[in-house]
Amino acid sequence: MAEFGVSTPSVGVAGAKPAASTGKALSVVALRKTYGDAVAVDEASMEIAAGEFVTFLGASGSGKTTTLMMIAGFCEPDSGTITVGGRDVTRLAPQKRNLGFVFQQYLLFPHMTVGENVAFPLQLRGVPKEEIRRRVGQTLEMAGLSGFAGRRPRELSGGQQQRVALCRALVYRPPVILMDEPLGALDKKLRDQLQVEIKTIQQELGLTVIYVTHDQEEALVLSDRIAVMRNGRIEQFDTPRELFERPKTAFVADFLGAANFLPGRVEQQSDAHTLVRLDHSGGLLKTRRHDLAAGVAVTVAVQPGRLRVCPPDDGFCTGTVETATYVGSVVRAGVRIDSRDTSRDTSRDTSRDTGRDTGRDTGRDTGRGAPLLRLEVPAGRGPVTGERVGICADPDDVNLFPGEQGR
Amino acid sequence: MAATLAGVPARPRRLLASRRTRIGILYALPAVAYLLALFVYPIFSTLLLSVQDLDGSLTLHWYADALTGVNLSVLFTTLRIAAETALFSLVIGFLLANAISRLRPLPAALAMLIVVVPHFISALVRTYGWIIMLGDKGLVNQLLAGLGVPGAPYQLLYNEIGVVIGTTAMMLPYTVLLLYGVMRGVDRRLLAAAASMGAGRLVIFRRVYLPLVAPGLATAGLLSFILALGYYITPALMGGPNQTMIASLINQQVMKQNQWNGAAAEGVILLLLTFAGLLLVKLVSSLGEAKKRSAS
Repeated sequence: MAEFGVSTPSVGVAGAKPAASTGKALSVVALRKTYGDAVAVDEASMEIAAGEFVTFLGASGSGKTTTLMMIAGFCEPDSGTITVGGRDVTRLAPQKRNLGFVFQQYLLFPHMTVGENVAFPLQLRGVPKEEIRRRVGQTLEMAGLSGFAGRRPRELSGGQQQRVALCRALVYRPPVILMDEPLGALDKKLRDQLQVEIKTIQQELGLTVIYVTHDQEEALVLSDRIAVMRNGRIEQFDTPRELFERPKTAFVADFLGAANFLPGRVEQQSDAHTLVRLDHSGGLLKTRRHDLAAGVAVTVAVQPGRLRVCPPDDGFCTGTVETATYVGSVVRAGVRIDSRDTSRDTSRDTSRDTGRDTGRDTGRDTGRGAPLLRLEVPAGRGPVTGERVGICADPDDVNLFPGEQGR
Repeated sequence: MAATLAGVPARPRRLLASRRTRIGILYALPAVAYLLALFVYPIFSTLLLSVQDLDGSLTLHWYADALTGVNLSVLFTTLRIAAETALFSLVIGFLLANAISRLRPLPAALAMLIVVVPHFISALVRTYGWIIMLGDKGLVNQLLAGLGVPGAPYQLLYNEIGVVIGTTAMMLPYTVLLLYGVMRGVDRRLLAAAASMGAGRLVIFRRVYLPLVAPGLATAGLLSFILALGYYITPALMGGPNQTMIASLINQQVMKQNQWNGAAAEGVILLLLTFAGLLLVKLVSSLGEAKKRSAS
């Protein structure tokens, strides 16, 4: 206990500078966890800098919570190492890791008041009474809970309880705070509000936070970097902008932006651009240069917001507007693009005519009905249902993935 | 105004004016009659008996008898044995319930069955079982002697040790059941939360787990204390003359001396002691609550 007292910096909470503003706060190397035959986390590796807000984003069963639990020490990895501030904590008990944890179910101690809950971790560290009183007061004030110190947790609303839990996790200034879907039990409005509060506090105090959620919007709002997880693997670990604009896999493109996917083949490769011939429309689509050989089957992915409407036959494809929904600033439109041919057989013939000799079309979805493209265009001159439109995209906004991934 | 209050029924002028009240009384009638006949009447007749002299005049000398000489020491013995029983059944019950609450559902259900099933057997049979186990040639003493424990065989029967072992065994199912229920209700993730903040096992137990099960401990302790106060068979069979408890005394007065008035006074004293016990626990818990409130 005494050593905690010494190591705890006696700086106030509000407005304090982060203990370590540079260097890596946490690193995870080749972390692996299996339950029987099921691989929960597969060789996850990452480095997180001090002061960074990192989110593990994924569907349930993607391994995001398991990874967090291993960092917290609630679950032991089969292999791999976890380092916090240069100290190997892989085999340490949770209480010896000096991390903060915010649970989805708040988990405030029901037999203690709000003030006692927040004071608890400080008492464990042997902080002097006067100091505890001051820091608990400051922390609660920062969370807008000044008058609540004497209340019982059960007298508080869900949002207030989670604020208390947040205070309790950050009052002792742990080097890393882990949050497991902390807003999952709250309603949408409160969630939005608390997202902003959490982000503000994190930036003000320079906290290092690892956050787990399945809500991609929440991840985008909060995070400096997001680790998109799928089947126990980190699919991509990048800034929200990179994930959105330069997804490394079709899964990421779909998960974050609900991208449109179209099958095609690389037609031509130039220094700056790659040209793709689309299977359905036969149109040519220009993208930024991807290192792919001509003739390779690819999947094109474009976010709905990055597609534009242009005069028919001007774009990479032409189609008919099937739906157009006005949602305020934008119109969400569904455009059924024209296929070159109605039947599959002729579709194949034409593909041979255009010189694509590696016709491995078997099993592909390409000839089966024309795809519906989803667009989000500015509401001002939005398309109307039944209108014939061309569709364009900026070459830089188009991502290519080799093979026939996506949907 | 009248229209807005139309949904709220006006207060009935007379008690029986409202149809709902009349039907309510009708429903309550059997229960009230049952309670009057089987609880209120016997208790009041006992009360009356305890303050009546043999000729029917009012007197308090039965109470004076009960609170002097041998009778008073019997009272103290009763209190002491009940307290010891409560303590031991609480400690052992806590350990058992704690262990069982950590098991998976199926083994836990099995363990609870093992704890509770002996209770289906008559207390008399179980008491004789203990007498066989605890005798000079009984299982316990033979085991101790076999292990070379100095001083074995011990005198484990017809003294206070015997009585407390017996009554504790009788009370255990109650404390285990009660504590198990409370412990199952404790959110184990709270303990994980405490660990995440840096609390060691001992601190978690003392500062989180114990306060959370404290209400259960108070109830279980009180229950075994009250049950032990009026317990008859086991103390009578496993104790010696010095372990006469109040229930045995009442039995003696009624069966051997045909002394109903004195027995009634003893019974009333037992009742008051039980009330006092309840009050004490209530007081202690509300004191703890007040102390907490003033501290925060």
